[in-house]
Amino acid sequence: MPAATTPRFVRADGPDKVTGSGRYTADLTLTGMLAAKFRYAEIAHGRITRLDVSAARAMPGVFAVLTADDVPDVRFGPFVQDRTLFARDVVRYEGEVVAAVAAVNATVAQLAVDAIVVEYEPLPVITDLEAALAGDSLLVHDGWAGYGAGDPVVRDRNDASFSSITKGDVDAGLAEADHVVSSRYVADGCHAAPIEPRAVLAQWEGNKVTIWTSTQVPFDARAGVCETLEMPASRVRIIVPHLGGGFGGKCGFHYEAHIAALARAAKRPVRLVFSRREEFFAPDRRREGMIIDVQTGVRSDGTITARKAWIAIDNGAYTTDAGFFSQLAAMHVSGPYKIPNVHIDAHLVYTNLQPSGSVRAPTAPQACWALESHTDEVAKAVGMDPVAFRKLNAVDTGDIGPSGQTYGEIGVQRCIDEATALVDYGQALPDDEAIGVAIGWWPSFSVPSGAYLKIDGDGSAQIITGAQECGTGAVMTLRQLAADELGMNAEDFELVYQDTSVAPYDMGATGSQTLFNNGRAVVAAAGQVAEQLRSLAAEFLEAAPADIVLADGHAHVAGSPTSTVSIAELAGIAAGSELLIGHGSGTPPAAPPLAGSSCVGDLGMAAFVAPQFSCHAVRVRLDRDTGVVRVMEVGTAHDSGTIINEMGALGQVEGGVMMGIGQALTEGAQYDADGHQRNTGLLEYKLQTCADSPVIRTHFVQIVTPDAGPRGAKGLAEAPNVATAAAISNAIAKLVGQPVRQLPMTAERVWKAMQS
Amino acid sequence: MTFTIATTLDDALAAMAAGARPVAGGSDLVVAARHGKAPLPGSIVAIDRLGDLAQITGTADGVRIGALATHATLMRHPLIVDSYPGLADASALVGSPATRNVGTLGGNVMNSSPAMDTGAPLLALGASVELRSVTGTRIVPLGELWTGPGRNVAAADELCTAVLIPAPATARGTASSSAYVRLEYRRAMEIAVVGAGASITVAADGTVESIAIALTAVAPTIISVTGLDAFVGKPLDVAALAAVGAIASEQASPISDLRASDSYRRHCVGVMARRAAEAAARRAGGELIAIPVNRAFGIGAAR
Ligand SMILES: Cc1cc2nc3c(=O)[nH]c(=O)nc-3n(C[C@H](O)[C@H](O)[C@H](O)COP(=O)(O)OP(=O)(O)OC[C@H]3O[C@@H](n4cnc5c(N)ncnc54)[C@H](O)[C@@H]3O)c2cc1C
Repeated sequence: MPAATTPRFVRADGPDKVTGSGRYTADLTLTGMLAAKFRYAEIAHGRITRLDVSAARAMPGVFAVLTADDVPDVRFGPFVQDRTLFARDVVRYEGEVVAAVAAVNATVAQLAVDAIVVEYEPLPVITDLEAALAGDSLLVHDGWAGYGAGDPVVRDRNDASFSSITKGDVDAGLAEADHVVSSRYVADGCHAAPIEPRAVLAQWEGNKVTIWTSTQVPFDARAGVCETLEMPASRVRIIVPHLGGGFGGKCGFHYEAHIAALARAAKRPVRLVFSRREEFFAPDRRREGMIIDVQTGVRSDGTITARKAWIAIDNGAYTTDAGFFSQLAAMHVSGPYKIPNVHIDAHLVYTNLQPSGSVRAPTAPQACWALESHTDEVAKAVGMDPVAFRKLNAVDTGDIGPSGQTYGEIGVQRCIDEATALVDYGQALPDDEAIGVAIGWWPSFSVPSGAYLKIDGDGSAQIITGAQECGTGAVMTLRQLAADELGMNAEDFELVYQDTSVAPYDMGATGSQTLFNNGRAVVAAAGQVAEQLRSLAAEFLEAAPADIVLADGHAHVAGSPTSTVSIAELAGIAAGSELLIGHGSGTPPAAPPLAGSSCVGDLGMAAFVAPQFSCHAVRVRLDRDTGVVRVMEVGTAHDSGTIINEMGALGQVEGGVMMGIGQALTEGAQYDADGHQRNTGLLEYKLQTCADSPVIRTHFVQIVTPDAGPRGAKGLAEAPNVATAAAISNAIAKLVGQPVRQLPMTAERVWKAMQS
Repeated sequence: MTFTIATTLDDALAAMAAGARPVAGGSDLVVAARHGKAPLPGSIVAIDRLGDLAQITGTADGVRIGALATHATLMRHPLIVDSYPGLADASALVGSPATRNVGTLGGNVMNSSPAMDTGAPLLALGASVELRSVTGTRIVPLGELWTGPGRNVAAADELCTAVLIPAPATARGTASSSAYVRLEYRRAMEIAVVGAGASITVAADGTVESIAIALTAVAPTIISVTGLDAFVGKPLDVAALAAVGAIASEQASPISDLRASDSYRRHCVGVMARRAAEAAARRAGGELIAIPVNRAFGIGAAR
């Protein structure tokens, strides 16, 4: 195993981003480039009775106007094929694209958009999850039964994906309990809100198209273009310039095909740049609203006997990658607890709102908020301290979780101890302050990935990776792994990345998978080059390859300090014969087995590969006159296995906590009765700012985890976003005397809870 | 569209006489246009290079604040911080450091938003604006300036050249001070959900000699609270502060919107009025409460 890495973290993309010399998609221009604008439905539900683009097409300066009639009639979607590029017959949410225009500039494009005539027969707007599930509800998709869908997806009318977890006999378990606590929690939807609104630029050469786009998942974007425009992957190239954040909002396939189709029709390059409003209301990606009814049976000694829950998740108008949300939400409402009897039902419900999709740790912050707020209620019912209650019931090494997974060495209990110690849990506090504690979990995603690594004749090295950097630094950290493998410095490696025609497949900046899987690939690729270097050095130094050690940019003969040659010199030798090139992929770790439980609608989320655990402990202060809550101090402890890049890891945790504070207190999408989002700007959709940030202290419970990522690492990017809102909720409940049962727990909602 | 940059006051007034709208920091005008709230005017005159209009001068009658004084300047200016800390409280809350560096007092006042932060302390302090045009100069008390959201009595060709605040009462043994607080959900880049400014003079025995309170974001314009004379001659004790809050709540006519419901606003403006009065009275009593009161005083749990 290579030597320990340095704590220093040099980001290859740092200077470009900090000095402004880096280029984002919206910064790119091409000769003859046109501007794209979309005509959105602007109503949440209606049947198109007239769509006339002739006036728009006739306008000077307009090069192309496209509708559903101008592209192949393809329904797509990763779980349920319920989507089309352009609305066909019916519009189902306000941001659905009805038509697209390419014109000389954005002003003319907007005038053309306005000149498109669309008339609708309005249909009732469905936003109530429980009403939508009722048997007599109007359907969001009349033709749902005819849609293609993956085999395990269990669907029924407005329920796009049902999933359940069953273990033991829940009714018997509840009957055994001394107390049964029932709670209902409601989470509003919210947004990823990346600072860079998305942009797409497409240019055709012959029958090939190059698309520059702000996506987190270039290979997914390519697959979407191929599917909807009916083209082979060899004719589509996706390049991602610097990405200005994503947080999941830029996962999935969105507008690349619209812009490619416009560019083809216009015979010119076409660029789309979203406004802030569009970034909020249009993409089929928002954090899902949820209703959680949860019931827990507990003995007087504090042991949990059973948990039963019913979850309704707002799918919005179309099913993106949200297909697996019902199962994942069910896992999060079960929680990392030893519970003999479990039954959870979760429904993914169509509504006429913006589609939901994976935003950082999908379903988890809301489900964890509900479960962990409920857990404090259960602890209160048996008169136990909530931390002691968690220590008694949480899973740990060797335990069996709610879905029947037996855990190897894990650090839940240690996370609880460390996080609570960081905020001095139990200290005497002023009467307007309290500390809340919550635990959470999150899987690592084991998927294929690949990398090439080469060292050129002058000794400069390149990593060619399909991985996507969304700001986390995960791609940047690949340099460190390669450097350690080859005895070089991280700075010696140039990254060639974010180009689907150059690099092997990668799933993208999604599922906390980048370092977990690409690390394996890069280490494998570097290992091949290391072999080549060792045999070259062995020849040069007249030693056995097994005795060659790569360190400090040199090949040394073990035990013979003067016998050394620089890697650059070896690269020069290789340039005249067999070139230094490695490639790697490695085998993704297998999913752990499950026993003693059953799942309906199993989409692979019941078994957590290399499960991550966390505990967040948060001290808040409440202004009792106004309900305004301020987070003062946060202690976090994370078991994400081995930490490869501590500075990068701390950045992930601190960012996750800040996002969690926003979800807890200020970030919620607000809709009117007609299904229009009302707060589509950063003044009314309130992210947390630097001025709001508390003191955040983090401890990593490092367990070298087998069947995981490089060096025993697990994922990390999403886990810090799981437990913060829950911990804040528990602190607020202590101050208010009861939980605030709606997320976000805005000042007004806290104040109202204090009145009741 | 025409855009001119005035280098003298006369240039600016001439441009306005010819129909141009002034732009100072642009942090309302330009931002509103980009948000599609109001298109950019067809003719604009930039006034930001009129250095004389950025002066802050003590006068026999009080202080004269040039319309171009920025919030960043006001929140730190010794004359303001010592004698009119309520205005400094307000300027210190505006947006972010970037907003405070470009945003001007004249722009804030003339933009005439009912949620503007400097309006309540200025109104409570009895301030006026100096309006100039090619045809003359007039002084308009703030109580007569605003007529509705984004509307005021200034003619299209009138430039606000200064804000005038009268000197605090100086009778023997009395002490005056002021304060401004607002309800905010985060600590930067925020807009007042509601707010209150107070200006108070206390006699040597601690009783109230004069008290004025104005409220932010609970009516179509910043409004003065009336009927506070009953508090004169009495100490501003806990009961009196509660009564001040109750009167403020009663006189508010708030709306429900994305930021808050009307009932929550009505409740909270009372809290803000009580806290502003308390902070002003404590400052008048010699206590140093750092600027802005929001941070120093636990507004929005921001201790
Ligand atoms: C991010 C952000 C945050 C903000 N936060 C706050 C806040 O917390 N509190 C708050 O109160 N405001 C806030 N604002 C609004 C704005 O910054 C302030 O109102 C600022 O004081 C406006 O000054 P300005 O010089 O930029 O005005 P401008 O935009 O230049 O002008 C505003 C209006 O006043 C007119 N005008 C300007 N100067 C004069 C003059 N001398 N005579 C006559 N008319 C004039 C203009 O024609 C225009 O109609 C914020 C703005 C932004 C962009």
